[in-house]
Amino acid sequence: MNSNVEEMNDFFTKKRFKLTLLIVILGAAYIGASMGLGFQSHSLLNIQDGIAWLIQNFIPNEASKGYWHEIVQQLLRTFLVAVAATSCAAVISLFLAVIGAKTLTPAITISWVIRGFSSLLRNIPIVAWAMILLFSFKQNDLTGFLALFFMTLGFLTRAFMETIEDFGTEKIQALQATGATYLQVIFQGLLPEIAVALMSWILYMIENNVRDATLVGLLTGTGVGFIFNLYFKSLRYGAAGLVVLSVIILVVTVELISNLIGRLLS
Amino acid sequence: MLTVNHLAKSYDGEKKSLTDVSFSVHPGEVTVIIGPSGAGKTTILRSINQLIRDDDGEILFDDTDMRQLNRSQLRRARCRIGMIFQNYNLIEPLTAIENVLHGCLGTKSNLAGIFSLYSNREKETALKLLEKVGLKDFAYQQCRNLSGGQKQRVGIARALMQHPKIILCDEPIASLDPKSTITVMDILRDLAINDGISVLINLHQVDIAREYADHVIGINNGQVVFDDRTQALSDAAITGIYQKGAVPERSLVHEF
Repeated sequence: MNSNVEEMNDFFTKKRFKLTLLIVILGAAYIGASMGLGFQSHSLLNIQDGIAWLIQNFIPNEASKGYWHEIVQQLLRTFLVAVAATSCAAVISLFLAVIGAKTLTPAITISWVIRGFSSLLRNIPIVAWAMILLFSFKQNDLTGFLALFFMTLGFLTRAFMETIEDFGTEKIQALQATGATYLQVIFQGLLPEIAVALMSWILYMIENNVRDATLVGLLTGTGVGFIFNLYFKSLRYGAAGLVVLSVIILVVTVELISNLIGRLLS
Repeated sequence: MLTVNHLAKSYDGEKKSLTDVSFSVHPGEVTVIIGPSGAGKTTILRSINQLIRDDDGEILFDDTDMRQLNRSQLRRARCRIGMIFQNYNLIEPLTAIENVLHGCLGTKSNLAGIFSLYSNREKETALKLLEKVGLKDFAYQQCRNLSGGQKQRVGIARALMQHPKIILCDEPIASLDPKSTITVMDILRDLAINDGISVLINLHQVDIAREYADHVIGINNGQVVFDDRTQALSDAAITGIYQKGAVPERSLVHEF
């Protein structure tokens, strides 16, 4: 009996030791990194002054009200770019995912090529995409659209491919057993089964792209990102704060709508 | 009707899953394949409509070797071979009637199949088949809301939509409760007796095999160890089928 208790205590002591060790390692990593950067930890003590400055300057005031009209207009542009890029990428992704998924691919080489292609697109950060595309397409909405499009294409192809592979081969075989063709199996079997999952990926991506479109706009000089930059650099902090507020409202609204659609579908 | 000769299959190129399997299935009869798990029952069934490509042998369905067919010929041959599964393999978000209509995809053009352009005649047949399996009132229900027994009956209706000469049943009752088991097995037996369809069933349950089968094939370790009328299935024969290594020595060679 006693030895059991000892054994148990021993077990918990070891667990506690591991947790302590983990905390010590994390602390040491922080100290090491901030020494390397010459980061002065004591400046964190003055953080409240910084926040107070932010609040004083960025709270929209009487003067920034006049900017509403322009902000809403640009916000809509940004939103439309995000939706267009996502839906356009979704259609092409679905096609790529079907011929790329291991369970449906006509040849395994095609599957590997598509996998590599999508991971290449996906792993270039959106900011890098925007800057690269700026050279060829200059500052306009198309540049932002393309940057979002390529990133989304990479991401959705991968997500759709995994959804299709999770679907398995059993039901595909069941339809093949009736004598159905490849395309019939896809349209009559695969798509109805994965439609809800596809839809929730697309909605997720629209949410994400509305956020990213703001950032991309900052670089490509379009949409709500551009006017934020403009107001900010011309010291109109109140108006810039209003832009941030409107972006938050848009993102939250999109998220709520997408949750609602998700619930209606399932 | 269906004759399988010297069928062989190996999944990894070394250990044989099937070694030299031969048997025949006759019209209007219920043929049951029994044997321990992993004996190769599923492999046999799926080789018949070539969902699994076998390595060697001959599968004569209406005097044509299924193994020699090209893609479109195979499609046409599959139209006359119905199949039902342990996990039903219905398209769950679709309704029962849509799933039944999938049974005639093989006879339709690509586009008609993709866009669900079924003729009135096909729709009427589908409804009649649902009535036949006792699910007329469930025609417009999503399959995900049906019970296991109901799903399996939709599966049977889908197979019947193909106007099959033979129905392959891969463990059709393994996921069902006792009551649904009887309903499903009764339907399958009626198909053999009344419609003259050959029914080939993989089973685990020996008692069900005894009750419903006309003809029993025992498989152990990838070989046929029993092939006779059900009356000949004695207790000794069953022990033989389920015994480990109840096969002629030559198959043991692969194990050691």
